[in-house]
Amino acid sequence: MKDLPQTVFVVDDDDAVRDSLRMLLKSAGVHAETCASAQEFLTSYDASQPGCLVLDVRMPGMSGLEMQHELNLRGLTMPVIFITGHGDIPMAVEAMQHGAFDFLQKPFRDQELLDRVQRALVRDMDNRARLRHTDRIRERLASLSPREREVLDLVTQGKANKMVAGDLGVSQRTVEIHRAHVMQKMEAGSLAELVRMMMAVAPSP
Amino acid sequence: MLAAEMGANENGIKGDREVQRVRTIIVAGQSSDRTREVLRALSGFTNVVWPTSLESALAQAGSQDAGCLVIADDLREEPIDEFLQEARELQRNLPIFVITDPDDVAEAVSAMRHGATAVIEIPPSYAALCEEVSRAMQ
Repeated sequence: MKDLPQTVFVVDDDDAVRDSLRMLLKSAGVHAETCASAQEFLTSYDASQPGCLVLDVRMPGMSGLEMQHELNLRGLTMPVIFITGHGDIPMAVEAMQHGAFDFLQKPFRDQELLDRVQRALVRDMDNRARLRHTDRIRERLASLSPREREVLDLVTQGKANKMVAGDLGVSQRTVEIHRAHVMQKMEAGSLAELVRMMMAVAPSP
Repeated sequence: MLAAEMGANENGIKGDREVQRVRTIIVAGQSSDRTREVLRALSGFTNVVWPTSLESALAQAGSQDAGCLVIADDLREEPIDEFLQEARELQRNLPIFVITDPDDVAEAVSAMRHGATAVIEIPPSYAALCEEVSRAMQ
């Protein structure tokens, strides 16, 4: 499947700001799309579209911070750069605590925004690569039989075949066969690689 | 000589040598009016320490006794963001509060990017600081 091009979504109720940001991003060779409201963006946004968001804090209807909350509820991880002409510390802290990539006060220099957009696009690319990696691991995990999964869990806890056999009440030879299947299905070249895979899909503490 | 070097200051704030086996509130900052104001604001807490050096502050932030870290002021030897990042690397879940001047949004955002749990503007938010610290120590 061909990767979609990265897009910067500018969400701002001010026509002049939207136009100037679109022109600025275009001049830097960055594809941009604009929306006049949070609702418009949320209705039209396709989660498979890579990129980042440049989001005004104060908008009529749903504010930028409310839209960030909604994006979090939907599990969307696109980096968000807030822009505002009336920012204060509690507002900036709230945005950052909820996962904003950056928070920029107007007026800002063009280059300042472009630098941050570039960093946000790199972050989005990294996030998506990580998600693809963990999705592949989960697919492989789903292909294991229940017994193979039990063997996987025990060997990645550091248990030797003999101990696994004792825990499961089967022969050591049977464990060896299951273990070989696990390595093959998980496409793991070593136990260390298998452990790394399990850590990558483990829930965060 | 800093108050902490003498053991305790007039507010009963304890220095390096009197760290107890309780979760501590570590205040980092040079000897300045703002640091003293923060220490005064936290004088209701009994387990506040004001390390005499950044190395000592980091060691305490990395210890199991650390309850929270309050970065009160500029740190002469090291930029705040770097110190913050080092402290965060030592303890992923340690609540770290950074005190800034009012309306310095850029500094607040930078601190959040480098691992601060929250940024509190002082003055006027002494009450907010005490609230955050109380929550962190629960």
